[in-house]
Amino acid sequence: MIEKGKISAAQMGMMMYPTIIATAILLVPAITARHAKQDMWLSPLWASLIGFLTVYITVRLHELYPEKTIIEYSEDILGKFLGKVIGLIFLFYYLYANGIIIREYGEFVVGNFLFYTPLVVVMGSMVLACSFAVRNGVEVIGRLAQMIVPIVIILIVINIILLIPDMEVANMFPIMEKGIMPSLKGSIIPQGWFSEFLLIAFLLPYVADRNKGKRWGMISVAAVMLTLSLVNIAVLFVLGGITDRFTYPAFSAVRYISIADFLEHIEAIVMALWVAGIFMKVAVFYYALVLGTAQWMNLEDYRPIIFPMGFLILLFAVWSAPSLMELTHYLGSTSPFYRISIQVGIPLLLLFVAKWRKRANNQKLTQQG
Amino acid sequence: MGILQRVAKILLVCVNLILLSGCWDRKEVNDLALIVGLGIDQKKDGKIMITVELIAPKAAGGGQMLGGGGGDGGGGGGGKIVRSGTGTTVADAISNLQEKLPRRVFWGHTKVIVFGERAARAGIRQHLDFLSRNPQARLRSNVLVSKGTAKSVLELIPPIEQSSSEVLRELSESQLLLRVTIKDALQMLSGDTGAAALPMVKILPREKGAKELQTIAFTQRTAIFKKDKMIGDIDDKLTRGVLWLRNEIKRANITVSLKGEKGNITATMIRAHTEFVPKYEKGKWKMIVKATTEDDIILNGTKLDLLNPKYAKMVEKELENQMNKRIRDALKKVQKEMKADIFGFAEIFHQKYPREWNRVKNRWEEIFPTVEVVVKTKAYVRRPGIDTAPQGLPEQEVKK
Amino acid sequence: MFFFKQSKKKKQMAKNQKKQNQNQIQSQNQQQQAFLSTDLDQNLQELQNIYKNCMDVVFRQFQIGGKTKAALIYIDGLANIEEIDAGVLTPLMKENHAKENTDQFIHVNDILEQKLTVSKVKRVQTTTECIEQISGGNPVLLIDQQSEGFALGLSNPEKRSIEEPGGESVVRGPREGFTESLGTNLSLLRRKIRSPQLKAKSIKIGEYTQTEVVISYIEGIAEQTLIQEVEARLNRIKLDGILETSYIEELIEDNPYSPFPQILNTERPDVVAASLLEGRVAILQDGTPFVLVVPVSFYSLLQSSEDYYERSLISTATRWLRYAFLLVSLLLPSLYVAILTFHQEMLPTTLLVTIAASREQIPFPALVEALLMEIVFEALREAGLRLPRQAGAAVSIVGALVIGQAAIQAGLASAPLIMVVALTGIASFTIPRYTAGIALRMLRFPMIFLAGTLGLLGIMLGLLMIVTHMATLRSFGVPYLSPMAPMQGREIKDVLMRAPWWKFNTRPRLTGDHKNIQRQGPNQKPGPDYGDDKTSKDQGGS
Repeated sequence: MIEKGKISAAQMGMMMYPTIIATAILLVPAITARHAKQDMWLSPLWASLIGFLTVYITVRLHELYPEKTIIEYSEDILGKFLGKVIGLIFLFYYLYANGIIIREYGEFVVGNFLFYTPLVVVMGSMVLACSFAVRNGVEVIGRLAQMIVPIVIILIVINIILLIPDMEVANMFPIMEKGIMPSLKGSIIPQGWFSEFLLIAFLLPYVADRNKGKRWGMISVAAVMLTLSLVNIAVLFVLGGITDRFTYPAFSAVRYISIADFLEHIEAIVMALWVAGIFMKVAVFYYALVLGTAQWMNLEDYRPIIFPMGFLILLFAVWSAPSLMELTHYLGSTSPFYRISIQVGIPLLLLFVAKWRKRANNQKLTQQG
Repeated sequence: MGILQRVAKILLVCVNLILLSGCWDRKEVNDLALIVGLGIDQKKDGKIMITVELIAPKAAGGGQMLGGGGGDGGGGGGGKIVRSGTGTTVADAISNLQEKLPRRVFWGHTKVIVFGERAARAGIRQHLDFLSRNPQARLRSNVLVSKGTAKSVLELIPPIEQSSSEVLRELSESQLLLRVTIKDALQMLSGDTGAAALPMVKILPREKGAKELQTIAFTQRTAIFKKDKMIGDIDDKLTRGVLWLRNEIKRANITVSLKGEKGNITATMIRAHTEFVPKYEKGKWKMIVKATTEDDIILNGTKLDLLNPKYAKMVEKELENQMNKRIRDALKKVQKEMKADIFGFAEIFHQKYPREWNRVKNRWEEIFPTVEVVVKTKAYVRRPGIDTAPQGLPEQEVKK
Repeated sequence: MFFFKQSKKKKQMAKNQKKQNQNQIQSQNQQQQAFLSTDLDQNLQELQNIYKNCMDVVFRQFQIGGKTKAALIYIDGLANIEEIDAGVLTPLMKENHAKENTDQFIHVNDILEQKLTVSKVKRVQTTTECIEQISGGNPVLLIDQQSEGFALGLSNPEKRSIEEPGGESVVRGPREGFTESLGTNLSLLRRKIRSPQLKAKSIKIGEYTQTEVVISYIEGIAEQTLIQEVEARLNRIKLDGILETSYIEELIEDNPYSPFPQILNTERPDVVAASLLEGRVAILQDGTPFVLVVPVSFYSLLQSSEDYYERSLISTATRWLRYAFLLVSLLLPSLYVAILTFHQEMLPTTLLVTIAASREQIPFPALVEALLMEIVFEALREAGLRLPRQAGAAVSIVGALVIGQAAIQAGLASAPLIMVVALTGIASFTIPRYTAGIALRMLRFPMIFLAGTLGLLGIMLGLLMIVTHMATLRSFGVPYLSPMAPMQGREIKDVLMRAPWWKFNTRPRLTGDHKNIQRQGPNQKPGPDYGDDKTSKDQGGS
């Protein structure tokens, strides 16, 4: 095996949490609010169903091929050629997704803090920092998750507490004014984020306590759902009807914090700690990409391709969209279908084929016997 | 070799970072013009004139540290400077202003936005958009309207605070009258009601003997907006009534006199709450406003011994009447005359009767003045201060 | 590419080392061949050749009982001369005039059993052993016609008395520290842990110094794999000499390029004893009071021995204070730079105006200003350590002027920055382990650069790199950031807080299979409802 490290199931769950949350709390509340209005806090609940489904599919596939990642077992399931094609689709998808993530991060930082710093510098420094983490393998990323996730959770909770004085509960009503549809519509976009749980297909083979993998995957989905819901509720309480007018509503709400004229304007600290979350996200995506590529090309080691891949990611980040408008438009319109079809559709297909093959094999065996 | 190479590479990166970063986002604090207040006026020709109040940090005299050598008694503080610029939009005016400033404009500390009356009447939406879109500016800045130009307000040199912006911020935050931040203003303007209310400031006539401009502006009235245009204003008494109707009243004193008694009783509000019960019956919109308050007596000019629950009840009754009257006055002026739903009734109806409300959404402006409002007030006098019988009165004159 | 080169180089280096090792082993074998002969003169000749030009080696020749030739070889100053006179020379030279007529042979055993009034005697058979003993300070007695000599345990090296260690003083706790003498140090440990399970294995390191190094552990608690690993790493060392345990530290640590210490060094016997009881291994060396303890985690470097002597609530608070100031010592100057050049909105307006006013006459950007003053502070700290005590006062006066009012008046630094520098200095000294403190102090310089480039974002990226690096570190197989990452629920109570002693039911998990984990009996919490019912009743009755 290329990766010799081992992580615990809890570490895997903790790795996935910032991987979903980091970008989801940036742009998603605005996109959700546009469709769901005051029901925006319901949308993550619906969207999480996709998350649970993804984890379920991935774990079932993992049970069939416990030692392998999705790149490897898609070859076993579909045969050499088709498997390689599917693997290539995944790798391209992750390369592209990685570029989008880095771009979202860069746009956010440049648009809010470092207006005149070149985008490439901001994005490049993050890719560089992540490449160091990726170089050291899954173990180190798992440990980093255990250091960072508690901080991210504490940060979210503290911010919500600090916003309590400015909250207006009435903003939530009327609940389900136009029935369930708006909140379902609003959940389409977050579904794209929840489908990213497919990444555990790259981590499960290295989990030491396998039997707990499913449980921690589900816990992670639930935690993400709760967090997104809570953030949406807090944003809704503070900003109310104008939530969808902001590009980054959660961030605008944080900017509104003011306690005793002293504890205010803390958004730079929040940004800095949020960067830790995005760091985790990029590291996990980056790791999956590099590991998958190495397996796809049958390399002995994935380290040599880390820097070339990092460069490619940076290029994709630059190319992914000409402007923030295009980026948000893509994320708010076509992206969920694209993401869900690759991250849920293909694995589901793989699972069916694998089951069918197994049954065929069994029948053959019984016939022979 | 390995480590040397590594160190050399890291050094190279560091040096490059420093050299390259010289022209990015680094801005020394001494190159910034810290703007604390922004005034927006509209000139007669339709151009926008902005006035900024900025704080110039004065160098603390080196001698001051030694303890006596320095002559500049100003300490580490700063003086205030007021500058103006004109242009077709606010942003345009700011670049005009920047030409006249040696330091870079910095919005991170802007606390007060003042609209001149004329600018307010012309519409404030585009100005608020600029302030909300600017990543430096704060959603929490207080928004005010000034009687007269905004410039005349910011120009003042307050005797106590450092800048007139600081004065206005403190006044806004005391919450005696209305307090509105950019976020609140945006919420009101984009909400269901189509109306907004902003606090309005007026310049306090200066004291005898005070230098020119040495006075402050204070919030006294409330400007009423329909859409984003100001249509009129109401005075402080009516504003309190409006505050009741917005459930925003925090502090107030109410003075009442009892029938058949000489002298007044003043009560101060400890807690207040307004509850709204919307009703929609047979195509008729109705709103029941239940206002409750808890008060302490702070002045007793009558001869009554307020420890007697009977008299306390009388005071409560009178307080209720007063409140009722204030609220009704405000309703009469704002609902019937100005026809601006600054109380947020629209949202309350929307929340309770979404389907019915959606049908009349577009006609809300016509419907609002016809909404029947029932005002129910309740006052509780909790304690008569720390005195019992009226002070300074012979025993036999006190009415037990 | 860069990384490939390195691994190649490493391989080459390893090859070279192997060759050298082989050469050394051969030469040693040749020496050991030389057994002592029965001829005293020949033995003496050989030894005198070896100790040529060593004027401090004394060859005292005498006759036992006026008949048998004998010689005593010792090093002047290392051996206890009074003891030699009284316990060796006197009884031997006044030997048996009575037995004049019996046979000429003197039985070695007789001398040992009847004459030598010395408690510690060791027989030596080879020249190498002789040299070892003589160099160690033990006089060697050679007798004619005997193929073995006696090494007499009469060494008396100069010793320092046991004092309180200056680097790790405590308010409450034992006030003894290790000394330069290995024997004393071992005895200090043995006095604390009397169980025979406390083992001390000795090896010699250093081609020329022949320094005695002792691996100490408690059998049954320390994992066997760990002990083997430590031994293997120590046996690997082939060096001309080691003078301090820091030599060993650098030669056996897991990541030699890291700024973070991966091995704990301490002067306190109680710290070592506590570590041994947790299943760690101590490495003692003759000639230095600093003892190494492996493995350690980052958090154990932030713990002071006093944490365990104070009340647990207070220690918990102290620990959190330390964690907070750890961040201050690493981040405060960079935060100053980042906030003043990137995030001016974060400060309250009045404070920002005050700072701006005080910086009005400073010609440097905040970045340069901060760097300058931090470097000056480091220089002052170094000067304060190195200067003779008499000059110390002068340094502190000059220091107060340089980092203080004079700097402000000269327009070189602003008053807030002086505060920042001073606070950083204080913060870095709250870290109990000097080496860990230095690492963080050095890391704050790159952080200042990053802050000056990308503001808080730069600081965060820097922090992430540091944490990533720390997550990759291991100390003898134990992850550096454990028990936080990887998280070990049981041990977190010794990191986020200092749990009371009755809560520490298990030993920390270090390496291996971790079998013997219970460290104390159940129900150690005091109070009538919690203790073991029987004993408490019995005690109550009596």
